[in-house]
Amino acid sequence: MTLQGKDIIAKMEKLSNVKTVKDIPQLTNAMFPGTHCPLMGAAMAVGGIENSMIVVIGTDECTYYAKNMTIGSEKFGGINGRCVSVVLDDHDVTFGSTKTMHSAFAQIMEEYSPECVFLVTTCIIEIIGDDYDAIAEELSEQYNIPVMAVHTEHFKCEDHFPGLERTITACAAMMKKCPCDNSVNILGQRLGNFAATELYKVLKDAGVKIGMQLPSGCTVEEIKKAAGAKVNIVVHDIALPLAKKMKSKFGIPYIYFNRFCEPEKIYENYQNLFSYLQLEMPKEIYVKFEAVKKAVEDSKEVLKGITYIYGNTPYYCFEINSFLCSLGMIPQVIQSNKFDSNDQVYVAKILQNIDPYICKSANIAPLQYVYDELKPYLYMGHEFAARLRAKGIAIVHSDAASNMLGFEATLFLLMQLEKSVNEAKTYRKELLI
Amino acid sequence: MSLCRFLPNPSDRMAIVWSLLSIKDSLILEYGPAGTTHFSMGLYGSLGVDWKQVLFTTHMDEDDVVMGDVSRLEKAIVELDTNYHPKVIFVLASSISSVIGTDIKGVCNYMQKEVNARLIAFEQGGFRGDYSVGLTEVYKLLVNNLVEANSEKKEGTYNIIGASMGNYRMASDIWEIKNLMKEGFSYTLNTCLCSQTSVDQIKQMAAAELNIVLSFEGLEAAELLLERYNIPYVYMAPYGYRQTLEFLQKVSEIVKKPIHKSLQMRIKGKLNNLAMYKMAGMMGRKPRFNYKAIVKGNYDLVKNMSSYLEEVGITVSDKICSHSTKNIKNISDDIKFYTDERDYLQIVRAARKCLVMGDDVFLEQADNTNIKVRTGFPFIKGSQIATHMPLMGEKGADYILEWIDMYYQM
Repeated sequence: MTLQGKDIIAKMEKLSNVKTVKDIPQLTNAMFPGTHCPLMGAAMAVGGIENSMIVVIGTDECTYYAKNMTIGSEKFGGINGRCVSVVLDDHDVTFGSTKTMHSAFAQIMEEYSPECVFLVTTCIIEIIGDDYDAIAEELSEQYNIPVMAVHTEHFKCEDHFPGLERTITACAAMMKKCPCDNSVNILGQRLGNFAATELYKVLKDAGVKIGMQLPSGCTVEEIKKAAGAKVNIVVHDIALPLAKKMKSKFGIPYIYFNRFCEPEKIYENYQNLFSYLQLEMPKEIYVKFEAVKKAVEDSKEVLKGITYIYGNTPYYCFEINSFLCSLGMIPQVIQSNKFDSNDQVYVAKILQNIDPYICKSANIAPLQYVYDELKPYLYMGHEFAARLRAKGIAIVHSDAASNMLGFEATLFLLMQLEKSVNEAKTYRKELLI
Repeated sequence: MSLCRFLPNPSDRMAIVWSLLSIKDSLILEYGPAGTTHFSMGLYGSLGVDWKQVLFTTHMDEDDVVMGDVSRLEKAIVELDTNYHPKVIFVLASSISSVIGTDIKGVCNYMQKEVNARLIAFEQGGFRGDYSVGLTEVYKLLVNNLVEANSEKKEGTYNIIGASMGNYRMASDIWEIKNLMKEGFSYTLNTCLCSQTSVDQIKQMAAAELNIVLSFEGLEAAELLLERYNIPYVYMAPYGYRQTLEFLQKVSEIVKKPIHKSLQMRIKGKLNNLAMYKMAGMMGRKPRFNYKAIVKGNYDLVKNMSSYLEEVGITVSDKICSHSTKNIKNISDDIKFYTDERDYLQIVRAARKCLVMGDDVFLEQADNTNIKVRTGFPFIKGSQIATHMPLMGEKGADYILEWIDMYYQM
């Protein structure tokens, strides 16, 4: 192979030059493994909604992979579970799939009796132009259950997040105005278990009722009553459109409580949350805040000057990188498929320290040659550990943070970073770097 | 099409990809949305084929779709050629590029002069049929495009055609065929379409003395090799002892060498025992019910496995083909392909005290009064690790006989 690290780096952009996501370069035109599909995102979201069904409308291939993904999932009910499909053949592509869909839907109602159905369309449907919004409306009226169309054509978006976002946003159609029950809804937790988080414990201890958790686990009935909440807690960007919709439709305020790393940001979120809830903030929040601030200070000695490449983690990309810069760490490359105005504040903080390279994510093949050139200590995200080790690089494993919200996410990150730095130093000794 | 409750039949395109992934020194470039490629990796991994840095995608955005811009594809081809120096780049259409009418073959034609790698286009976007159609196409295209005429004949060698990694236990079946050919005739494998092969091995297919065709999908490729290079072929997927002997006999006639005696005697012995076993089964243990089987799978498995079961006194009440049968010549009337899932579900869900053979999805639908044997893909429980546990040949017959015995004892 003749890929040269220097050539690959030359294709990257400096963060300071990026104004929109279109400025973030894709390192190569031939990608491996490529990004995930929004169809996968939609399936992930429906998985969390009990008694709902997902009907994937697409080619054998799209429908095969979607079903294959759900087979091992208890949430979906395994092979006989609530992910089914309408497979398009050349006749449907030529003459449209409306008739086929209607006939399949009758079978679905007879055999599965779902409480609600998501009709998830794939690339081909969007190209042939079948009107699934209208079909969903017709079916909804005919069978008297909520039927929602979710569009997941990948050629119009970057990755799987729009699939999650559109599915949960579609749920707004099921919600009805109802009296406030002082609960909080948890919006946007796509992975992990909210009940395992610090935020959950804090809310529980304060006697706050947890309402709908979408898409991490809820029922159709809970979605219908979700407008009874006092506050929506948005834990990921995918839920912002739904939160905004619920705010305008039902007047429910929301707190943007992403998986932040900066202790001050987390503390501020807790303050805002309890203010909305009209409850006194528990004292333990302050105690935790002080403890995490101390941990951050203590970690600087180990982490200062440590170089890394950022791939993909459960944290908020630019916020975590800004936080790591504040610890004295040096991002050499940041991979991201997202860049919008909300990121600017964090980007500005990063640029106060360093101007790292930036490129699109999910294309690890060309990065192999970049490692030889930049020689980072750490890689944050998913990669093949053995081949990184051979280059003296340690992976920072952070997937477990999916189960964390609040100060615990920061403490966990610091722990993983210190562990990985020690590993990287050992690898480098082995390689005499 | 109607509602699909389980896994749909893999498409022609999917079979093409899993076949091409077995060819070393080649790369696959898909001209389509990245998500499909990424999503597919789970399936290919479970089939035992390696996709890491072999399977690439260009991705497609709205501009490519609306404007028909193929510059992304052109650049990706040059990139792969420059960076990886593959001998062949297989350029695959996607469902999107098929529907919008991208001329993949045309792009490959004019890009060929820009690159060193041989460019081979596959225009199947998933709408020409199921995986069986894809397998037929891929074997034929590989033979048409890669096999070289000037290969020096290699005595004592043979090719296997029609070994699809989408078949359950295919790696083991290849292992078994290799053992039978080695022990029976001291012959060694030249090239296998398509498992653990390489571009150079495919180029030298014409050097072999004989082709062994394990599935009907390989017949057209075998005919091409017969016509062009005068290589005779044996078409048989041998299940059971009788068929294994028949298979060896057919090979023997073509290569004009006797089957090694010890192998022949051993299998004949097992075949004789099978007859005694059957009698003992019927006489010693009085039949308590009608011994009946349902077999679902690829055409050759269904046809030949059913014969094996019938040899031991089990009536195969339903022979269900898992793919379209429209391209099969002289198909037996009793082998059916159902386009509507409900038809075969009705059969398997009604089965009681049967020997049920098929894939995991099918077996899941049969109740526990049945003896269930996994013989097909997809498998959804556990994994496929062993490469020495065949369904075909002598060892395969031993294994199936154990299940038959269990069934008789139930």
